[in-house]
Amino acid sequence: MRRVLAILNGALRTWYRSKPTLFWTLAFPVLLMLLFGAIFSVSQDPTFDLHLQNQDIVDGQPTVLSKTFSDMLNKTEIFNLHIVDSTENATLLIEEQGIQRMLIIPSGFQADCISRNASIILKMAPPEVETASATVRSVVDNVVEIFNAVVSGQSPPKVVTIEFESIVSESFQFIDWFVPGLIAMSLMTTGIFGAIGWNTRNRELGILKKLATTPLSKLEWIIGVVLYELVMAAISTVVILTIGILVFDVKVLPSIYSIFLIVSGAIAFPGIGMVVARFVKESDAADAAANAITFPMMFLSGTFFPLEMMPDFLQQIAKVLPLTYLNNGLRDSMIYGNVTSALTNTAIMLGIGAFFIILGALITSWREE
Amino acid sequence: MDMEVAIEVKSLVKKYGNLTAVDGISFTVHKGEVFAFVGPNGAGKTTTVEILVCLRNLTSGEARVNGFNVQDRKGQQEIRKRIGVLPQDFNTFDLLTVKENLIYYKKMYGHGIDIDKLIELVDLKDKTNALYKNLSGGLKKRLAIATALVNDPEVVFLDEPTTGLDPRARRDMWNLVKGLKEQGTTVFLTTHYMDEAETLADTVAIINSGKIIAMGTPPRVNIKTWRNEDFDRQKGRKAIIRSASPNSFRSKAGKRRRCCRSS
Ligand SMILES: Nc1ncnc2c1ncn2[C@@H]1O[C@H](COP(=O)(O)OP(=O)(O)OP(=O)(O)O)[C@@H](O)[C@H]1O
Ligand SMILES: [Mg+2]
Repeated sequence: MRRVLAILNGALRTWYRSKPTLFWTLAFPVLLMLLFGAIFSVSQDPTFDLHLQNQDIVDGQPTVLSKTFSDMLNKTEIFNLHIVDSTENATLLIEEQGIQRMLIIPSGFQADCISRNASIILKMAPPEVETASATVRSVVDNVVEIFNAVVSGQSPPKVVTIEFESIVSESFQFIDWFVPGLIAMSLMTTGIFGAIGWNTRNRELGILKKLATTPLSKLEWIIGVVLYELVMAAISTVVILTIGILVFDVKVLPSIYSIFLIVSGAIAFPGIGMVVARFVKESDAADAAANAITFPMMFLSGTFFPLEMMPDFLQQIAKVLPLTYLNNGLRDSMIYGNVTSALTNTAIMLGIGAFFIILGALITSWREE
Repeated sequence: MDMEVAIEVKSLVKKYGNLTAVDGISFTVHKGEVFAFVGPNGAGKTTTVEILVCLRNLTSGEARVNGFNVQDRKGQQEIRKRIGVLPQDFNTFDLLTVKENLIYYKKMYGHGIDIDKLIELVDLKDKTNALYKNLSGGLKKRLAIATALVNDPEVVFLDEPTTGLDPRARRDMWNLVKGLKEQGTTVFLTTHYMDEAETLADTVAIINSGKIIAMGTPPRVNIKTWRNEDFDRQKGRKAIIRSASPNSFRSKAGKRRRCCRSS
């Protein structure tokens, strides 16, 4: 214990005396939170830009039916409509102004409606190219359906309506869903990069070799480094929550169970780092290895979007990634208030941590061949 | 005289793949003795030291420090408590002060000498609270040597303690080693400099290409027979060792030989 504390103490002193490290320990979570906060706190229902050209003009006035249709589009509140003058050449305009989406109501639209063979033209990138196109298409489809019903005199039957009820207690925004993911992600990056970096730097200085000639055991060294990363994790978690609460009005707060989870994550990731550090000896290789581990986990563990949205095989991969359990656990405890699941995930994380720390102690060799 | 043995090496061999870095060396260092290993780059000095301080496995032969076998797990634990090591090219924590660095290593043992006294011993009193990174090269080396003394070791291993030091700093270092000897500490040091070995050591061994080619006690055995060309001939390496007029020396087998043949 005396040795472990000496290692922790030395690392902490080095940390607060190193201006760049100190800066990034604080700035990284701030940037992360500001960046993703800005992206995800804007609005929950996205709006789409849509240029609208009504060519069905009679005596300088839009016809009644074409006007009705464009009003209906507007009422969906999903489109940000830009009206294009009926005299403009649509094709030319799209090219010149780089317009993304345009809906054209052709001249004779009202007359065609009456003879029941009217059409509208929707110009945009196909859904395979641009995912938003699928949403736009389905909204326009719905508007057309309602318009048809109205015009044909059959007012749309209202049999079923959906009432939305939130399963989370308070009125959370998407950013609230995102905060636990951000905490988990920063635990992962600080833990893995920190442990690998600290190890390679000290190996290069010859400190590891020197320590290997003392009675210090490998396990004590690993525990010392993990403890240090635990302190770093606490700092970034506090920073993320502070910025979240002050700037983005985040409502989620860690419960006691979240703290268990944060501790378990802050143990597991440096544990993984210490195992990796055994295999990469140079700084460059260390960074590359840390990136190779953190990058896929960041995207495949449900940090940015729920796992259910991912294809099946990716969901299977997510099941073997430690970050998945931290993400799930933190959301269970911070958002859904699901204590059992939070504790299960804590146990899994602790298991992963213990596994890697012991593995690290077994495979790390102070001795060289 | 029945002197206790501090380090005992018998037919030690270390191979890195095809390369034989240490090629069947044997020697004994008695307690309280200063033993110097002299040899050019790549001679096998560091390899030998690292085997003795339990950093490396040996290929064959036997090595004991204070009676404990370096290949034995229990033995290694006992050895680590009793030795102090200055590894070659060692740098310590940049952002810890002189005192913090020494306390750090002392904590690894749980016993040792008074840190303030140690700082005085290596003449770093004015720099007690200076960060390691702000020390000059010579002062860094002094702190590095001090880290090898924190646990009041019985045997001290210094791998090239004076490389990169100016003549005055070298002399200071010599005094330090002499002080250790006076206290009865066993010192194993490696160096490129013959004069250093002669001044400090009770026994000097000259190692080249993994073999001890000469060993003796400086006043009785004139090791100044070493000439640059001897190293050059062997592997085209340059020896830093000062050359002198050919003379005779006692080989490790104790036989008198004509100068400088390596075998
Ligand atoms: N880890 C290693 N792997 C392979 N070869 C090595 C290794 N370490 C040393 N060697 C080789 O073993 C030989 C002896 O090296 P060693 O470091 O013991 O020499 P040295 O006498 O300490 O040299 P110097 O004066 O340059 O420090 C050299 O040829 C070196 O290249
Ligand atoms: Mg060497």
